[in-house]
Amino acid sequence: MSRIASPPDLLRASGTEAADADSAPIGGRGPVARTGADVQWSRWIAPIAGVVLILLVPAILPIFYVTLLGYVGMATLVALGLVLLTGVSGQTSFGQASFVGLAAYATTILTSFCNAPPIAGLAAGLVLTGGVAWLLGLVTARLSGHFLALVSVAWGISFFALFGTIPQLHGFNGIGNIPPLRLGPFSAASLRVNLGVIWAAVAIVMAMSANLLDSRLGRAIRTLNNARLMGASVGIDTVRLSRTVFVIAALYAAIAGFLFAHFQRFVSPTPFSLGASIDYLFMVIIGGAGSLWGAPVGAALVVVLRDQFNDWIPRITGQAGNFESLVFALVVIVLLQRAPDGLLALLARLKRRPARRAETGADVPLEIPAAAAVAPGQELLALDAICRNFGGLAANRDVSFSVHAAEIVALIGPNGAGKTTLFNVISGMLPADSGRIRLFGAVAKRISPRRVAALGLARTFQHVKLLADRSVLENVALGAHLSGRAGLLRSMLRLDRAEEARLLSEARAQVIRAGLGDMLRVPAGDLPLGQQRVVEIARALCLRPRLLLLDEPAAGLRLAEKQRLAALLRQLRAEGMGVLLVEHDMDFVMQLADRVVVMDFGQKIAEGPPERVQSDPAVMEAYLGGVA
Amino acid sequence: MDWFVFLALLQDGITTGAIYLLLAIGLLIVFSVTRVIFVPQGDLLAFGTLTVAALQSGRLPGTLWLLDGVSAVALVASLFQGRRAALRGMLTWGLYPAAVTAAAWLLAPRELPAVSILLALAIVTPMGPLIWRFAFRPIANASVLALLILSMALHFVLIGLGLVFFGPEEASAPPITDASFDLGSLNVSGQSLAVLACCGVLVLGLRWFFGATIHGKALRAAASDRLGARLVGIDAAATGALAFGLASFIAALAGVLIGAVTPLSYDAGFDIGLKGFVAAIMGGLVSYPMAAAGAVLVGVLESLSSFWASAYREVIVFTLLIPVLVWLSVRSGSPEDRA
Amino acid sequence: MKARLLAAVTAMGMLGATAAAHAQIKIGAILSISGPGAAMGVGYKGAFDFFPQEIGGQKVEYIIRDDATDASTGYTIAQKMISEDHVDAFIGPSLTATDAAVAPLANQAHVPMIAMAPYDYDPTKQPYTFSDAQPLSLMVAEVFKYMNQHGVKTIGYIGFSDGWGDQVLAGTKQNAAADGIKILADERYARTDTSVEAQALKLISVHPQAIMMGNSATPAALPVVALRHLGYKGGIYGNHGIVSPAFIKVGGAAVSGVVADTSPLVVYNQLPDSSPIKPVAAEFMKEYTAKFGAQSVNPFAGYSYDAMLLLKQAIPAALKVAQPGSEQFREALRDALEKTHGLVGVSGVYNMSPTNHNGQDSRAAVLVEVKDGAWRAIQ
Repeated sequence: MSRIASPPDLLRASGTEAADADSAPIGGRGPVARTGADVQWSRWIAPIAGVVLILLVPAILPIFYVTLLGYVGMATLVALGLVLLTGVSGQTSFGQASFVGLAAYATTILTSFCNAPPIAGLAAGLVLTGGVAWLLGLVTARLSGHFLALVSVAWGISFFALFGTIPQLHGFNGIGNIPPLRLGPFSAASLRVNLGVIWAAVAIVMAMSANLLDSRLGRAIRTLNNARLMGASVGIDTVRLSRTVFVIAALYAAIAGFLFAHFQRFVSPTPFSLGASIDYLFMVIIGGAGSLWGAPVGAALVVVLRDQFNDWIPRITGQAGNFESLVFALVVIVLLQRAPDGLLALLARLKRRPARRAETGADVPLEIPAAAAVAPGQELLALDAICRNFGGLAANRDVSFSVHAAEIVALIGPNGAGKTTLFNVISGMLPADSGRIRLFGAVAKRISPRRVAALGLARTFQHVKLLADRSVLENVALGAHLSGRAGLLRSMLRLDRAEEARLLSEARAQVIRAGLGDMLRVPAGDLPLGQQRVVEIARALCLRPRLLLLDEPAAGLRLAEKQRLAALLRQLRAEGMGVLLVEHDMDFVMQLADRVVVMDFGQKIAEGPPERVQSDPAVMEAYLGGVA
Repeated sequence: MDWFVFLALLQDGITTGAIYLLLAIGLLIVFSVTRVIFVPQGDLLAFGTLTVAALQSGRLPGTLWLLDGVSAVALVASLFQGRRAALRGMLTWGLYPAAVTAAAWLLAPRELPAVSILLALAIVTPMGPLIWRFAFRPIANASVLALLILSMALHFVLIGLGLVFFGPEEASAPPITDASFDLGSLNVSGQSLAVLACCGVLVLGLRWFFGATIHGKALRAAASDRLGARLVGIDAAATGALAFGLASFIAALAGVLIGAVTPLSYDAGFDIGLKGFVAAIMGGLVSYPMAAAGAVLVGVLESLSSFWASAYREVIVFTLLIPVLVWLSVRSGSPEDRA
Repeated sequence: MKARLLAAVTAMGMLGATAAAHAQIKIGAILSISGPGAAMGVGYKGAFDFFPQEIGGQKVEYIIRDDATDASTGYTIAQKMISEDHVDAFIGPSLTATDAAVAPLANQAHVPMIAMAPYDYDPTKQPYTFSDAQPLSLMVAEVFKYMNQHGVKTIGYIGFSDGWGDQVLAGTKQNAAADGIKILADERYARTDTSVEAQALKLISVHPQAIMMGNSATPAALPVVALRHLGYKGGIYGNHGIVSPAFIKVGGAAVSGVVADTSPLVVYNQLPDSSPIKPVAAEFMKEYTAKFGAQSVNPFAGYSYDAMLLLKQAIPAALKVAQPGSEQFREALRDALEKTHGLVGVSGVYNMSPTNHNGQDSRAAVLVEVKDGAWRAIQ
């Protein structure tokens, strides 16, 4: 059984693109360093300490702190959802407070007006909020960055206005005398008991979130931030997954809303306004969106600071105005400028912790799963007069060729010939304007990248797309996404360990075969570019493909590495895989390829064995501009 | 609803729509050059109204001291950046605020509307470049989301300052004209026409600026390709400051104009800014004509839904935004398609 | 010998000091000093500057906190005041929503609370809740009396789209039903709206004889201006929330003739000499306007002041029973408050009973109209 890594490791959430600064997640680009906690806790100390704290603390604290910690706990729940939503999957929401409100009002109506037990209120809140979030997710899952943020502002305001105007909700006078929490004969009217319930909920939700992030789905969620294309290429349904994360965040907020109504026993629209949503985001920014622990840290800081400011600033200035908001906002601004990853990351950097360790699946024997049985010579891919235009530019014009099992076809041509566009068409990321593609014997005009991956086509990218903060092993394990089946619930309840071990051992085997065995635990972004390309290949191999598309796999590799790569590709050919690769290194291509296809200005100008193509006058003209 | 009512509502909607358009233009300029979604623009609008109101009652507004204070910091900062920067700094952050302060101190007691308006514009406009300099420029390369969150935080700062400077009460700006005349059975107010006229003049002025002046062209270049613009020597910091300056001028002007029609309090600007937002979004944050259409649409929609279901007006306006945004986003393609 | 004497005296002095510190009366005040309610909060807070530092021989500490016009914030503050500061009584909250949130807390902790905003409660179920803000029904009834005198039979209503607008509408409906007046339209707008032309048009289109408004402070001027601009000639009536100089300043000539009613404090120098309220109000306003200016007269300071007067009368009775800081003191304070009889405040004359914890009568409402650029009492 694989060793379960220490909790703080697993809570390290973010995934940044290796290259693109413009699309960096919250807080811009932090250093791709070995951040994150490394404290080696024994497996049981944390949970036991947690239980003890939850039982003891509410009993001994003065009542005021009980209230304060209650608010901190509820805010933490919302913030945890935001860490998953914003920190990990890169979506924004300025409307989380409205989900809190939906659930709060739902349970209020059921328990106050209909005399239902609180558990019914919780169920109603979860169903209502989950349903609304699912609907909103339907429309917003395809929105990018700022559009999504603005839509969330819109619904945040819309719901707030609704809360205030629907007559049955008593508008801004609010509804008081909400019954306390009750389970059978046990009533939790006391704030202290409520506090225990709140923090028990926080502990459970946090554990479930940590489990989720440590699973196959967790890896998939990390691709949503900035590597959706890559995610799609290994078979992840990015749209559906985004929506799922969005609903999860809303459900966490709903739990908080339910607890809020029965804790304060009074609801009015004001705690569910746009300002409150912004506050939750502040919590996540201040605590750090990169780690689940950022949620309680940020929540505690914000709630306590606001309370303290409310107390002290009037005494200092003699005028109880809106200063605490002002000072708060200034703190956030300074933090955004100085510590974009939040306080936790800042502290971690200051303490200079050594490299994280990640799961390695070391205990399971090494094995490369057998490649799918393919008859040699079987046609894997056939292109028939493919055309693809961009405006007036014909990127691909009438391109036809085929790739068979157990052969390596090289696609070469000067820059701008349309090779990568062709790759994108074949792998389903771009639709062809005309022509047919026959993939594994089935004809399709347009096919999604996911379907292509499921059928057995894997690809790498010209601009490497990796999760730079995650280890090589985890990146490669993404390729095995489709061979796993653990869903949301299994992942959160940690019932997926056997499958995880299998997936990780498969990934490990591929990494070792690719020659990067001693880089298993290194964050992928730390590797030189050439080796990053090899990681991509290993990831593609995890898909157990029948056809492999490689976009400039040898770029940036040293001679020995190129030879190892060539050896790997020959081995794959021997096992029956078809390989289509784009390359500029002629030596590499000529030694390796069975056939070469030459493109120029979008058209195929030559095809044949390497030696024949090499002496083709049209090819020489394309590359050199004419024969001497 | 009869024709007269509809026309009256339309007039109302178009006037507010013109204000939203002004704000939308400011937002678009700033976003295209710096990728900042300038949420506090609405607060600067309120600053405009409140500053001119304070001047009109013979008092020196708190925004004047804010300008002086932050300019002083900018001045000191520029002194450390070499001779040319220091010289420029002394002019913009030393001489200018001093001149404005002196003018305000001398002229405010006279309570002349034209003077108050000009002074208010002079005081609030530099806040844009100062905000750029101290808040956004340090993280100019961060993601759009980080910049948006910074914007939100700034909004709270400005609101807090607004409460300190101006108190919680509302105030009005002096009208440009009190005239009104009848067009058939419809009563058209001179101030509405003034708003439309200013809007038109500003739009034309901006078109000339962007088309014919070197600074305007530099701004367009920076807006269309930031890296490319820098490579040809266009100063990113300066274009950012210029963009913010334009936006804050527009906001101040809008505040002076709308403040004569409605009294505003320190926190009323956010709502107006938000609607300007909506208009800008309808233009996809890139297109000025679409934003204009969006602004008029929002203004008229607001007006009509006030008439039909006044309590639910906010709900209607903001809920309708969602499908529009979705349609826009789908039209511009999902991120995958922009590989 | 001397050292021992010195020590003994010091010890007694310290004991006395701590005893005095423990014997200090603590009064918590939850006011809306920022946020949308800030304009009123300024008035509520201003009165505290003139409160006595000592009542019944005990020092009094006033702890003023801001609920930012948010009931949830007020709730947290109240909890803190009860459990940390151990307040003996609450003056306020000054916001209806916060009153609703805090009242159950105060009653559970047996802390008397004098609500300073119109708040609906049952004194028999909430024995610790008192109020000195005129009940809305009282104020609206006075306005309707005037309307009846002037033969108004149909009205249109325009109010805020929040709780205040709802409450005034409820009072309006009640009185209209009793007087046989029909409400022809119900329009709402948000406090921050910049234009109400649409709603005004809708109102005019149903041709009511008069308009009743459910708004407050300066945003209340907006519909009046719009209605007059559109040519509406009927009477416009408001509630006591609109009676302030700012309303006239913002509304200009258009608001002339608007009728409302208000706390006696607001027009204290126009009250008849026979009114018992006049001298009390005049004395308070002399100090208040000296500090804040002649234009600063507002009803909200009056609610704070009256709350203080109520406590000032009740505290000596409670001190006979127990020391401040103890539950017995608070219970005695509550009992004494409930026995208030004939106390002349600046917002009315208070006669409390176990079923009436407000105690005001029609002397608490003075009809006023805007005339010659100011609010004038209607005789």
